[in-house]
Formats: sequence, structure tokens, C-alpha cells
Amino acid sequence: MKQKPLQVLLVEDNAGDARLICEMFINERPGSFALTHILRMSEAETRLAKGGVDIVLLDMGLPDGHGLDTVRRAHMVAPDVPVIVLTGLDDEALAADALKEGAQDYLIKGQIENRALPRALRHAIERHRMQTEADLIRTHQMQFKDEFLSHVSHELRSPLSAIRQFVTILLDGLAGELKPEQQEYMEIVLRNVKQLQSMINDLLDVTRVQAGKLTTEPQCASVSDAIAYAVDTLQGAATAKGIALTSDVERMLPSVCADPTRIQQILIILVDNAIKFTPANGQVKVRARLFDKDPSLLVLEVSDSGCGFSPDMTERIFERLFQTADPSLEGRKGLGLGLYICKELVTRQGGQIWAKSAPGQGAVFSVTLPIFSLANLISPAFHEEGRADRPVTLVVTEIGSPSGWLSDDVRAEQSHGVRKIIQHCLHSRLDVLLPKMGAAGPVELFFAVGLTDSIGGDAICKRIREELQEHVQRSGLTLSTCYQVLTRTRRNSNESTEEHLEQVAAGIQELIKVEISSRMVVNA
Amino acid sequence: MRNKKILIVDDDPDVLQGMHLRLKANQYDVCLAVDTFSGVAEARRSEPDLILLDLGLPAGGGFMVMERLKLIPTLAIIPIIVVSARDGLGNQKRAFDAGAKAFLQKPVDDNQLLAVIRQTLGEPAGAKRPTLQDQGAV
Repeated sequence: MKQKPLQVLLVEDNAGDARLICEMFINERPGSFALTHILRMSEAETRLAKGGVDIVLLDMGLPDGHGLDTVRRAHMVAPDVPVIVLTGLDDEALAADALKEGAQDYLIKGQIENRALPRALRHAIERHRMQTEADLIRTHQMQFKDEFLSHVSHELRSPLSAIRQFVTILLDGLAGELKPEQQEYMEIVLRNVKQLQSMINDLLDVTRVQAGKLTTEPQCASVSDAIAYAVDTLQGAATAKGIALTSDVERMLPSVCADPTRIQQILIILVDNAIKFTPANGQVKVRARLFDKDPSLLVLEVSDSGCGFSPDMTERIFERLFQTADPSLEGRKGLGLGLYICKELVTRQGGQIWAKSAPGQGAVFSVTLPIFSLANLISPAFHEEGRADRPVTLVVTEIGSPSGWLSDDVRAEQSHGVRKIIQHCLHSRLDVLLPKMGAAGPVELFFAVGLTDSIGGDAICKRIREELQEHVQRSGLTLSTCYQVLTRTRRNSNESTEEHLEQVAAGIQELIKVEISSRMVVNA
Repeated sequence: MRNKKILIVDDDPDVLQGMHLRLKANQYDVCLAVDTFSGVAEARRSEPDLILLDLGLPAGGGFMVMERLKLIPTLAIIPIIVVSARDGLGNQKRAFDAGAKAFLQKPVDDNQLLAVIRQTLGEPAGAKRPTLQDQGAV
């Protein structure tokens, strides 16, 4: 059977280099390679998007793309096509970085042997195929493990459910009054049932972490609510051990941008741990305040007067399956997954977690979470690495009068007031993303805010509505909000962050002109 | 005032018995079903005020019970609380989409279950303390 030729896409703007490379294929069997030569990265993206390319030979210095950015862009359009980068003698280090970005190989121009190039191409394709296959097998295995654990935990939960039910039935005296001794023993059973239950939940969460399926749904969330919930939930356990569990929350704390149930989970793990490692008559305290080192973060602190640990353990305690070495400690019960899950949950929500302690001196666990501010919301979208493909959500807030009667002066005054309120309710210092006011028409005023993907678009709209509704109604205006996904504009490597944000803001203004007139606006 | 009637559909007889005891102690009338078909049939027969529904049921499953009930106008309005050992991810959303009022993960905390039942039935959130004394002879 005749084999199809390998489709090679050569992206090289230097005519001399391109000719040299083309010549290296002359001695190959006719029909074994089909070479397409193009000059620019943008053309390469178009060509790759169409499909049918087997391998890319990519120059890293193109008129419209430079360095690692070229590799990233090629991968973004065609993640399954192997890339070999072409570099000069002087930037071999850059080429090595390209391998880390996922390039299969690099070739140094002027040092490529005639016969070596076709062979390198074949090897790269084969290596890439094997990698893809290995990835696929790994994914299947993970999936199997996931399904297995999910199944097992379900099967474990059912009998546990019955045990818990009947223990509480006995404890509540529904089957006759218990003697004090019987009561005490049943309470021990219940405590252990609850522990088993939380271990099963931990096990499931860990599987999710490893499968990359641990989900968090960031929104505008109250830290004090989460603290109240955690303290309330664990007050019984603390009292039973003779431990004073208290909380101290700074007044008027801003909300955080995090998943409220996950904040509860984090606090429950930390407070539960603190109680476990603190002896009778000890203290456990939960605090929340603005982080003095970075006002865009809140810090939650769980401190205890327990046994503490040596300072060289402060990193290790967050490792998976970490257990304290002292078997006499009650807190040793468990799978050693709590703090590991905690760390995953915190870092996934843009925060950090750390611990400070010394033996016999108690311990302090600190967690930072980003406050619900515009700056925090948009920063991941503009983060240089990893998230370049995430969409940006556009929030549009518009205020209008049915007849369009606002004079320019009134409009300017209103826009100023509303703008201030929006900035206030978003804790925003990033004025650049609020486009300039003054567009007349059926909509008198509108505001647009660029945000990261789906997080918070809805929450922000709701917040803006809540904060603005009354203000707007008093002025006899109508308010509507909507949000929609907007693809992020690509950042050029030589552009500063400010320039880029301005560009994004400009893009948003442009978009509004189009979208406001179409039926994109959902009335509040 | 008559007691509210709750139908429990669960294939685990131990869970059924436990919930039955707990609800009876809180002055609810209780009827029971162990699979998809008997769940629908019992709902039709006893027209409960609320249904506690497991998802993993023989001969169809909890989602099928919800679908069937939706087709019968008098039964479609009965509020349903899903009580399942299945993972909340996905199932919770699916249950809400199918019209469930709440999703509780087994093992369920009894106080939480009773609070959700009261809330769903629109009863005041007071503590009905189940003790032998106010039960009379059990």
C-alpha cells in the first residue's frame, strides 16, 4: 500500500534558511514528504487550524512572533501536532526552554546534517505518538481509579448511613432510655462513625485532586459566615474536650472571591485538626483580618494552644498521607489527607497556606484568600502562563431612560456617581477597564468591566444590581445588567501590562458598540 | 391538625426502618416503598405531602420515579428531597434540574434532614424534641 506523504509545515521567514531546509529533502524517496513553506506565525496558525499537518518546523524569530510565544501559539491551535523548533547557534538555551513548553526537539540552523533532518522528523512524530498513547492510557487508568473509588465510597456510605441512623435513634432515646454508661459508649460509636464518614469524603476529594476534578466555584463569599459555620459545627467537639473554641473577626471585612462551601471545608479541617492536637483546657481561636502585607488578600488564622510541631515540619505537614510520628497523639487518627486537601483548595482559589509552630508552643495555620475585587478577578486572565486560553467575561451595566432625555451634564454627573459606586462595590483600583462614558442613544449610560471567565460574572452583575438599584430608581432611570464571554485579546511579548489592559479596555468599548444594539442585554 | 405524610423510597430496609422511626418520632405519618415501581404506586395510593427519594433504586432508579410522578398532575406537585449515597457532583445538579427541592448526601445528619423537611413543608423551624415522654408509650 502506498503511504501518504508526511505533511511538514515549515515556518521560516529567512529565505536562505528555508531553501537550505527544503534541499535536505531532495534525496528522500518521492512522495514520502510534502513540504509547505510559510513566512509568518499568523499564517501558521491559520494553516494549523485547518488540520492535516503532521509536524511543524518552527523558526523562533518570526516577524509576528518571537521566542517561546511561537511554540505556545502553535500548541494552542494544534495541541496534537508535534513541533520541532529551529534556532541559531546563540540561543540554544532558549531552545531548551522550548522543549519544556512541549516542543519535541530543536535543531540548530547551520548544523543540521542533510540526512539527519528527515530522520529527526520521523523520530519526533513517533515520539509524539508514543507520548500521546501513554497519556491516553494514564487518563484511562485515572478514570478507572476514579470510578472505582466513587463506587467503593458509595458502597461504604450506605451501611454507614444505617449505622449512624440507628446510633442516633438509640442516643435520642427513641428506643427506650439509655443508662449513662450506654449513652457514653454510643457516643463513642457515633464519634467514630463521623470520623469514618469524613475519611471517605477525604478519599473522594483526593481522587478528585489527582484527576484534576476538584472543583471550586468562586463567587462573592463572606468569610465571617464560613467562620460562624465552622465554629458552630465543631463547638460540640471542642466543649466535649474542654477546649475553648472562639472566633474574632475584624469588622467590615470585604468579601472574598472564593467558593463558600470550600472555605467552610478549609476551616473545618483546620479547626478540627486544632481541636485534635490540643489537650483539655486549651484554646482554639479563629481570626480573620485584612492581610497587612497585601491588602488585596484576607488572612484567616486558626491558632491553638496544643502540642505544636517542630519548625522543620512546616512544609511536610501539607504532604499527602503525612502523619505525625507520635502514635500517642489522638490527632494521628485519620488518613493524613486533611491538610493536603486544604492546601489544594486554598491554592486553587488563588490563596496560600502556611503554618508556624514549635514543639509545645501550639500552632498557627494561616490561609490567605483574594478579596472580591476587580483587580483580583481579572488578574488570572492576564497571567502570563498557563491561562492564556481562558475567556474573559464582559460585564455590562447600563442605565437608561426610556425617552433618552438625559442632558450631557446630567449624564456626566450620573456616570460619575455610578462609576464611583461600581468601583466601590468591586473594591477596584483598575479604572482603566471602565470605558469612557458619554455614548448617547436609547441607553443613556453604561459600564463595562472585563473579568476572568465565568467566575463572578454573574455574581458581579448581581452585586452591581443590588448596590445600584435604589440609587438608579431614585433618579428615575432603569438599570439592566448582563455578562458574556469575550475571548481574551492576545498579548504581544513587548507590550507592558498597562498597555495591554488599555487595549483590552478599548476592545471592550468596541464590543459594546456592537453588542448593545443587538439583543445581548438581559433585563435585570 | 392532621400529621403530614412522608413517603420514603429506598431499597435499603435498614435505612427505611431508621428513617421511619425518626420521622414517626417527629409526628409525621410515614409510608414506605423499596423500588421504582412501588415508589410511584405508593405515591399514587397515599398521596404524601413530601417524598424522600433515594437515587439508586432497583428497576429504574430515583430519576425515573421523578419522571413518572411528573406525568401525573396531582403527584407532580409533591415536593421531593433526594437522599442519596451517590456523589453530589453532577447528581445534585441533575436532581435539581429534575425538580428536587433538596439534595442530601448519605449518611444524613438527622437534624439537618428534619430541618430540610420542615423547610420544604413550610413548617416553622422549631425544635420538636423527640423524647419518650412526649411520645407516650412507644
